[in-house]
Amino acid sequence: MSAREMPLASLIVRSLGWLGLGLWALAVLLSDFLAHAPAGAVMVGAELSPPSGLHPFGTDIIGRDMFSETLHGLAATGVKAVGAALIAIVLGGLFGAVAVRLPRFPALVLRGFWGVLASVPALLLAILLIGLFGNDFTIFAAGLATAPLGFVRSFDAVDPRSRHAEYAHATGIPAMILLKRDLRYDFRRMLGSVVTRALAAVTIVISTASFLGFGASPPARDLGLMIAASKVSFFSAWWTAAFPALALILVILCARMAAGLGEGERA
Amino acid sequence: MQRFLIRQSMRLVAGVLGAVLIAAAIAAVGEPAAHNPPGFLTAFLSHLLQFGRLDLGTSLVSGAPVVQELGRYLPRTLALVAMGAVIALVAGVPIGLLLTLGPTRRIAAPLIQIVTATPVFVSGLTLAFVAVHLLHWPVSVNAPVAMPYQVWQVAVLPILTVGLAGAAAVQLVLRRSSAQPGGESFRTGLKRMGLGLIEIETLYVLPKMVAGLAAGAREIVLALFSAAVVAEWVFHCAGAADLFVKSVALADWNMAAILLFVFAMVTFVVEFLGEAIAHALAPGGRP
Repeated sequence: MSAREMPLASLIVRSLGWLGLGLWALAVLLSDFLAHAPAGAVMVGAELSPPSGLHPFGTDIIGRDMFSETLHGLAATGVKAVGAALIAIVLGGLFGAVAVRLPRFPALVLRGFWGVLASVPALLLAILLIGLFGNDFTIFAAGLATAPLGFVRSFDAVDPRSRHAEYAHATGIPAMILLKRDLRYDFRRMLGSVVTRALAAVTIVISTASFLGFGASPPARDLGLMIAASKVSFFSAWWTAAFPALALILVILCARMAAGLGEGERA
Repeated sequence: MQRFLIRQSMRLVAGVLGAVLIAAAIAAVGEPAAHNPPGFLTAFLSHLLQFGRLDLGTSLVSGAPVVQELGRYLPRTLALVAMGAVIALVAGVPIGLLLTLGPTRRIAAPLIQIVTATPVFVSGLTLAFVAVHLLHWPVSVNAPVAMPYQVWQVAVLPILTVGLAGAAAVQLVLRRSSAQPGGESFRTGLKRMGLGLIEIETLYVLPKMVAGLAAGAREIVLALFSAAVVAEWVFHCAGAADLFVKSVALADWNMAAILLFVFAMVTFVVEFLGEAIAHALAPGGRP
């Protein structure tokens, strides 16, 4: 849907989402400048001091400045999420759109294989892949784990025997040219929505896997690992979990808004 | 109906076979000889034959047969998911119905967006925080609580966490399924024939909505299982989902493979039943 065809409310929501994502990108790029302390710097302040002028987000159990840590965590999560989202789009949506145009048997085999993978929660697949190939594989694992649903959705949405495909065939347009034109048309129409949708999905998978101990190894902490580390202190020092969690929710919310996802709709 | 059931059964069988192949491949990874392609292929075929004989092997970590471990941990996860599903239906159906009404939707939309953007582990920790500070429950997210306290207090937080995640999926499926009959032209025709609004809704619209809900059962189950993994981890419930995470962490690939197969199987069976119910309620016309 083009911006002209979109209702005003939807356009505002999407624009706000893109604005939020832009700010996130800016925070990722400038995280080293904006942060008061380098990533993982301990004893920057007193242990577990609440939010104050000096430490706007407080400090954690080993005196790390939570504002700086949240910024570095946002950057770590962002870099992983963008990479994983691209992999999810290529192996999911794009591959699905290509696979449906293959001859019937290989197309059905591929649909069956990805369909089986799509019957397992993406989180479990991501954990399994990270476990199999190591923490360095996190970006690929998160992308690959979220790809099956995208593949199935894309595969099932395309009708290779649609009327326009028949017309193209009748007028002598080769299948490859038709595929290229279809993909160009779909991607021009939906690229923004697809990218942000994938971004929301992989951010949830990456942060949850990190929270469970897969994907991020200290001292390189992303938001999921930061929240996991705050488990020891957050009952008495809420700020150790609240600010990284808020940052994570904001990122996912902005991606969802930019994608134009409805209330409760899964990314 | 018969043709539909045969087609769905074939899809179920194909899905199960695919899940067996993937499980055998994962289990083969754990074999010491599987570091080169021929070794992997041998280990893969050996696991495939083993699964064919219904021999699921042993857990590398505990040394106990996998069947015994499944019998010990799986019922807890299935109970957690089942109770979560009840909460998901109790909370998700009214929310879904309310959100189909225009004015309510506009008011609740921002809140629902924020709730949906919240990862399950953040919801779980928030629930734990509220339980400790407002309800003064002895909740721990770092280790199982040793002191004796009410059994329901132990169970309620993970069930709520899973239930809330499921409720989001239920309301979405319900809204999706109610969107189509809501806009159909037969309503006007039925009104002209003298039928009341409630009559139209209960006799014509409700079956389509229930059919849509049944058809979306797979999506709901996936959300419930995903949340169960997090809930069991956060609240230290020793279930199959928690066992899966520990098996992967400790490279017990045989156990992880079987658990993944079981989760996929449950999803396939629920999808099969959901599709059958949907077809029975609204043959050919379900949303």
